[in-house]
Amino acid sequence: MATSYRVSGGGTISRRGFLALAGAATAAGWPAIARAQAREVKVGYILPMTGPLAFEAQISLNGVQLAVDEINGAGGVKSLGGAKLTLLPGDTQNKVELGNSEAARLIDQGIVALIGPFSSLVAYSVRQVTEKNKTPFLLLAAVADNLTEGGLRYVFRMQPNGKAMSTLTVNNMLEMARAAAVPVKRVAMMHEDGNFGTTMGNHVEGFAKASGFEMVQRIPYNLKSPDFTAELSKIKAARPDLLVISGYYGDSKIIAETAAKLRIGVHALVGLANAAYSNPRFIADNRELTDQLFDGNYWHNPQSARAKAVFDAYQKRFSQVMSSHSVQAYQVVHVLRDALERAASTDRDRVRDALAKTNLADHILPQDAIRFDDSGENANASPALLQVQNGRPLVVGPARFAETKPVFPVPKWKG
Amino acid sequence: MTWGLLLQAVISGLLLGGVYGLVASGLTLIFGVLRIINFAHGAIMMLAMYASYWLHALGGVDPYLSILLTAPLFFVLGVGVQRVVIEPNRRAAEHNQLLLTLGLALFLENLALVLWQGDFRTVRSAISGTSFMLGDALVEGARLVACAGAVVVCVGLFAWLRLTDAGKALRALAEEPEGAALMGIDVTRIRGVAFGMGAACVAVAGALVTPFFYVAPDVGESFNIMAFVVVVLGGMGNFLGALLGGFVIGLAESLGATLLPGSLKYLVVFLLFVLVLLLRPEGIFGGARGR
Amino acid sequence: MAARAVGLVALAALVALPPLLPKYFLEVLISVLFYAYLGESWNVLGGYAGQFSFGHAAFFGIGAYTSTLLFLRLAVSPWIGMVAGGLLAAGFGLFAGSLSFRYGLRGPYFSLVTLAFAEMLRVVAVNTKAVGSSLGLSIAPRSAPALFLFDGKLPYYYVILAMALGAVLLTRAIERSKLGYALHAVRENEDAAEAAGVDTLAMKLRAMAISSFLTALGGTFYAQYYGYIDPSLTFGPAVSIQGLLQAIVGGAGTVLGPFVGSFVLTPISELSRAALRGRAGADVMLYGLILVLVISFLPHGLVGWFRRR
Repeated sequence: MATSYRVSGGGTISRRGFLALAGAATAAGWPAIARAQAREVKVGYILPMTGPLAFEAQISLNGVQLAVDEINGAGGVKSLGGAKLTLLPGDTQNKVELGNSEAARLIDQGIVALIGPFSSLVAYSVRQVTEKNKTPFLLLAAVADNLTEGGLRYVFRMQPNGKAMSTLTVNNMLEMARAAAVPVKRVAMMHEDGNFGTTMGNHVEGFAKASGFEMVQRIPYNLKSPDFTAELSKIKAARPDLLVISGYYGDSKIIAETAAKLRIGVHALVGLANAAYSNPRFIADNRELTDQLFDGNYWHNPQSARAKAVFDAYQKRFSQVMSSHSVQAYQVVHVLRDALERAASTDRDRVRDALAKTNLADHILPQDAIRFDDSGENANASPALLQVQNGRPLVVGPARFAETKPVFPVPKWKG
Repeated sequence: MTWGLLLQAVISGLLLGGVYGLVASGLTLIFGVLRIINFAHGAIMMLAMYASYWLHALGGVDPYLSILLTAPLFFVLGVGVQRVVIEPNRRAAEHNQLLLTLGLALFLENLALVLWQGDFRTVRSAISGTSFMLGDALVEGARLVACAGAVVVCVGLFAWLRLTDAGKALRALAEEPEGAALMGIDVTRIRGVAFGMGAACVAVAGALVTPFFYVAPDVGESFNIMAFVVVVLGGMGNFLGALLGGFVIGLAESLGATLLPGSLKYLVVFLLFVLVLLLRPEGIFGGARGR
Repeated sequence: MAARAVGLVALAALVALPPLLPKYFLEVLISVLFYAYLGESWNVLGGYAGQFSFGHAAFFGIGAYTSTLLFLRLAVSPWIGMVAGGLLAAGFGLFAGSLSFRYGLRGPYFSLVTLAFAEMLRVVAVNTKAVGSSLGLSIAPRSAPALFLFDGKLPYYYVILAMALGAVLLTRAIERSKLGYALHAVRENEDAAEAAGVDTLAMKLRAMAISSFLTALGGTFYAQYYGYIDPSLTFGPAVSIQGLLQAIVGGAGTVLGPFVGSFVLTPISELSRAALRGRAGADVMLYGLILVLVISFLPHGLVGWFRRR
């Protein structure tokens, strides 16, 4: 799979000359040569573009596209002589079967790596396809911890997994409570009853003993339920200090609204990888409700100048504030670019080896350098603790990335 | 378990039940006359919610006022859908009609996705944020309005069915399909009216829930399956039964949430559903018995 | 004779071609056969007996969970677990069936009660830690044919091909048996069949048992092939709909209907996805439209239409 564009026996030729030559070669019936000389690196993505997760999928795709265009605009992959990234799309509709066939199709089309698939359910089986075909698979949004288990070589996860996300978030909250000299002894949790919410719920519950709080209520709920008043009343009756919520957009909205009206009486409402609470659109639509909400989520590093530039570019292109899913998607593409630069090859095994050796300090995440451990997890992955203040989600922890001081306890939730 | 929690469960259940009742009323009307389980019912409700949303977003129309526009609009739309999609298949096998509406639901849900993407949208009415406490129990203003509105519409429809010529014809058709034709009722037209009224019901329901809910392409699913359950409970084709059944299911759901661990509240709902189907298939309140 | 020749050529192609196909086509072909199999299984009850189940996911899930739990917890080979799952599902089918049939649930009532049974199992599975709750159960990929685990997709292809062909042959045998004639009578006019001395309850239950047994085997195949099951994937309404869709579009109550349905529907879905990529929802929208058109213009499915010509 040669990707040099030196014409055999000659020096480098100009881009226009090359294209003309490639065109001529194709026309003359030498497709093999034309392909060998193509200046592109195919990257596939599979996302649930249709179905219940379409909204989140589109946001993720925006991030991917932004990064790809940025890389191509800056001259492509340098070590491959400026080869451009070409995105090949796949839609899983959040279905396992389609995840598999879309992944297989993209691999047939010669991608060097696959990004996706958002939902852990789909990821379980797609990783078998990528593993079998020796294709690097960069997980996006799928949090289930055991996705990287089983000695898989080609699966990489840059974002925090379920365990890192939940334990670090609770930790951040407890630290903040200690700093404010407000004891947090009783924690209640509501989470959607699918794989994502249950993963989070199990970790928070499992973490209780070690960090000295009691889980006074844990209520899984169906995403489509139109009313949570009864559930929240149960929680209120348990008198928790914190209410932690892991859910998707619509359910989380109704839960926060009902909790506010019930005067739930906690020190704070804390989202955990919540799809709404740090979402700029949700905040803009619900200014009063969202004020001083917390959320532990994947995020960017607000201290990074580069992050600022990326946010501006995103705002300009999509006319909305960049949100956490797009940040992850954006950064994953740059992790791949970094690996491609070092591999100087589009050979999937070389790219895989380069990914395994990643040590990327120039990134926009609230963590140290991006490095993958033996299982393919980002060893330094860390969520940020956010609080909505004046209509903006701001990082309030961990301290070294914080852009402002937290308001804790939150008076309005104390009722 | 305290009385406060039970009171809350009863109130929340009743408030939600009214909306279920209205959605189910539309469904039962369609079933009574056309003998179709309309799987597209939730999708039509979703479209109506978008209509209310856009009237609010573009025209500044309060979601409650939007009913004045969306109800007639969806009536016409319903008549059209019935004429174009359902009527030609009137003599088709029962299961084919079921699949027909399933295909229609797929089409409409994804049409919304194509037109407006997957974004969740929210509409705020002046009373969205209001609430008061009844003893220890929370009563949300918007949910109360939705429930009251649903009951008013249901009662109005019931009166319409009893008192107007069209309503009487519709009932005649539901009870005696052959007899109705003999009596000189324009059967085709009445079938259209039934579907149109069903769609208008969910248009009203949609406008009533948007102030405390959200709008998204798959939002109808939150109400669709529950509406099936309610229809069976109330007796298929039984109009008042649908409203009462709505309250029963709303109560079962919130009492289930209060009394059971985990997300088992739907187990209660489905259990109730199966028991009623087996023991009293004509519904708790009686109704047109399915053949 | 011509039909038989066409059938033999098609069969030969199905056996001989797959090793030559690109990964994507193999993946799609496995889906096609898997759906065809689900359709055939549903067809015994829904097509032949005319009992329109909307809850076959219950049997599918029981099959998937039984073999997977036996495998993960007790190291029982899924080949054996598959049979155990089938029997358990048939038992549940007989239970649900005798309840519904005895109480005289027909038509839409039967559809709704089966849907409710499947949903109840889903809710229970979500809330039961012992079966993995929503975290589901995953089977790590490795090569162990004795454990229904293969290296690569091709062996799975031949397994599902054998299962689908087996279902077709069984359906054909049923159609020509006494049971087949009795079911036909039940479907056309249950009361008349009863009056003519057919034990309609026993006949419907027999169809239920066969149909649920077969569907459960499909559940085990799914678990082994995709390596992961959870309550919504196995007990969710999508599974029930997938099975009956193939049968209805291809022709319910015909031997080859589900096969034909799946060989038409799956490629349509793939093609529309390919053509409408980049516009989220457009492909499923088109799929819904096609469904409406097929039912409007080919009410007896493709096979029925072909026969009537």
